[in-house]
Amino acid sequence: MKEKITYTERCSIVEFEENQIISFHKADSVIHSFRVLKDGKIGIHFQKGEMDDTTGYALAEANLALNRPYPYDLETGYRKRDKIEHTYTDKDLLSIAKEGLGHITKKYPQFTLRGSFSLQTDCWKQTNDKGMDYENKDSHIQTTFVYKHKDSKDLVNGEFSINQRDFSLEKLYEMADNYLGNYEKQAEFPEEFILQSRYYNFVGALVSQLNAEQLALGSSLLCGKLGEKVFSENFTLIDDDSDEICWHSPFWDGEGCVKEKDMRTFIENGVPLLGYSDKRIADKYKVPHTGNAYRSYDDIPGNGRTNMIIKRSEKTVKELLNGKYSIVIDLADGGGFNETGDYVLPVFHAFLCDGEKFLGSLPPFTLFSNLFDMFGKDFIGVGSDQPVVNDKQILIKVTVSPNV
Amino acid sequence: MYQFPKDMYTDVRIEESYESCYAIQNDDVTFDSSSTVIGAMIRIFDGTMWYTASTNDIDGIQTEIDNLATLATPNPDILNHPVVAAYETNVDTVLRYTDEKDIRTVSREERIALLNHYISACVDKSIPEQNIYFSKLMITHRKKHFYSSKGSAVTHDQQYAILYMLFLFTVNGITNAGYSVFTKNDFHDLYGLETEIITARDRDLDYARHAVAVTPGDYTCVLSPNVSSFFTHESFGHKSESDYMLNDKTLQEEWILGKQVGSNKISITDTGNITGHGYVPYDDEGTKTKETYLIKDGILTGRLHDTKSAVTLHEAPTGNSRAQNYMYSPIVRMTNTYLLGGTDNPEDIIKEVKDGIYVARANSGSGMTTFTLNPDLCYRIRDGKLCEPLRVNVITGNVFQTLFDIDAVGNDFTINDCLNCGKQGQEVWVSAGGPTIRVKSLNVN
Repeated sequence: MKEKITYTERCSIVEFEENQIISFHKADSVIHSFRVLKDGKIGIHFQKGEMDDTTGYALAEANLALNRPYPYDLETGYRKRDKIEHTYTDKDLLSIAKEGLGHITKKYPQFTLRGSFSLQTDCWKQTNDKGMDYENKDSHIQTTFVYKHKDSKDLVNGEFSINQRDFSLEKLYEMADNYLGNYEKQAEFPEEFILQSRYYNFVGALVSQLNAEQLALGSSLLCGKLGEKVFSENFTLIDDDSDEICWHSPFWDGEGCVKEKDMRTFIENGVPLLGYSDKRIADKYKVPHTGNAYRSYDDIPGNGRTNMIIKRSEKTVKELLNGKYSIVIDLADGGGFNETGDYVLPVFHAFLCDGEKFLGSLPPFTLFSNLFDMFGKDFIGVGSDQPVVNDKQILIKVTVSPNV
Repeated sequence: MYQFPKDMYTDVRIEESYESCYAIQNDDVTFDSSSTVIGAMIRIFDGTMWYTASTNDIDGIQTEIDNLATLATPNPDILNHPVVAAYETNVDTVLRYTDEKDIRTVSREERIALLNHYISACVDKSIPEQNIYFSKLMITHRKKHFYSSKGSAVTHDQQYAILYMLFLFTVNGITNAGYSVFTKNDFHDLYGLETEIITARDRDLDYARHAVAVTPGDYTCVLSPNVSSFFTHESFGHKSESDYMLNDKTLQEEWILGKQVGSNKISITDTGNITGHGYVPYDDEGTKTKETYLIKDGILTGRLHDTKSAVTLHEAPTGNSRAQNYMYSPIVRMTNTYLLGGTDNPEDIIKEVKDGIYVARANSGSGMTTFTLNPDLCYRIRDGKLCEPLRVNVITGNVFQTLFDIDAVGNDFTINDCLNCGKQGQEVWVSAGGPTIRVKSLNVN
């Protein structure tokens, strides 16, 4: 049996430095992974750049000699998903970059800006002898601005970025106004500390505890807690390949598996239900197979590809705040979760926020929380809207120390 | 060779990269791969903008050059542009790893045998708290060619074998990682490491069994050579990368050469000439690497440059323009960055601390004005002796204050040769080095 994965990417990047466009870069590439399965073994050949099927499969077949076990059936199915909302040319990208950068530098001359406008368009394809024919296309423009106030002795003061499939300069300007327009205003700490943030880093730490192998071997913080109410009643975690902000990610996993309606719930109303697995892990530990293999081009797939999202509240971020203020971190580094689940983050710059608009810069501080608290007693919710960063945002009660 | 377009500066960087990985987790082979990628970065500069492209089609490089040239504006005076004029023109071949020294010649059987040997020698399955062991061998070989329209033609290579041994110990529901990492240019230098691996494993197991949470606060900290190397890289190395300041008058005044920026016990250098993980005989603009003293006896004496930052700041290029690979344009990066050893005895440095923390190992850090270190092995110091192991999440300090607060520098300089450094979305190989140092006060959480 034969299977082939092809990833084609067209990428154009306009970079700017010290408020001026300095470069235009093109990076078009293609990657092939040829797989040959025979007698419970798999041979794989990875090729960056073009290669014809005859050569690719011959090289993969030769790699059967490595004796890599893969005693699993190939998947089958036909589906094409196109998430492209707008087709941009390089000329469009340059025009957007010139107009966007020109507007922001003119309005905020007290800042030195560097960053990029990048256009990424890609296509994943996976086909095999059993008739599988899957394809996923996506395209978006990402804009990143790193800013430094001209009077600051720091190397960087903050940054903001926005991803859009159908690019709106107005949304970029709105973001720039929020960040650069409020940077020089000084705000005071609120009485209660509520973090408003994209949540990928936080969920990432939780997801690693849901690895079925870690659960089986006893090395997860969730060991012995499946089926128990561990987190907030309002906290539901779903592996969702249909999510609109799931950028450049196919609807099938590295072994060709597709979830029913493209989603599966792993934590429901605070109760962890099961761990995630690929075929090997499910087979080895006799746990449910959840179709979470990551895509490997030069080796067999492995366990760990997820697109976990937190079920949104019906309320907006501002409604969830209910008149209170939040803090939005702009520049932080170091720290993170330790092995007990405790979380510490030195924050160098943050804004006070009413849920939508910044009110001014806060002094530096250190933020404290814990994996179980942030999704448990301190979890407020994920807003139904996408203010501030044009992305999903979590609200969590946290502890803050003014020392960094 | 290539037909470079008239009235433009052009350079071409071709990379041939071989990587292999073999790994075993709890007796299962989890990785077994090898691949070779060939790619090129083509750059054209017309005095105003760079037009660049990356490709895997080596036969199509001339076409890429011709296509990019149509985007640029011819500039008859391009050779007098200050940045172009400052580009070095070098013709050289520095191939250290050919024939039997080429790490790719080590057979797959020998690689697997090495890993199996370490599993046999260093994994003790009778340790009740050990639920996972993971052993990995990665081999990398890279050859780079650089050609420019000014006449540069440089070829050089580098290679590494990296051995990684990981143990997960779970005690009372808390899982701690114990690990050892070794990076060597010569595969055969990976033999004979059993004692080091077992010693580290047992130390990490003891930590898993006995570590207690630190009481947050300010402490006198003694940093081991491993940690002082992170400190050097994060706290000062990144601030020496001068693409951050260019025309920024505030930073230029703050970082004026000749200024006292730290204790006179402190000297820091960067050089790509040493065959460590940051070995770069020529950078990705074709500039020959140089040893650069960043701080000498506490005085700011230099900084790291690409050609643009050097010209902008009226200094000389230092050979620190590096890209992650052929898909990226180079930016200013460190290579091998070292805090030089001093004269203090490491044991005395600890003995002189009445109440403090010994930071034995870190796994990462970051470098703003406030730097951070993420330690994974710490011990309390009381009355000059190491006491119980501590769980510490992050250590922070102000760079400017901390450099003055270093009151002891050990004579046990050690190179930490296993680092990858991230900046602006690019990761490059670097090494860092340092001795045991003592800092009067750092914030510990």
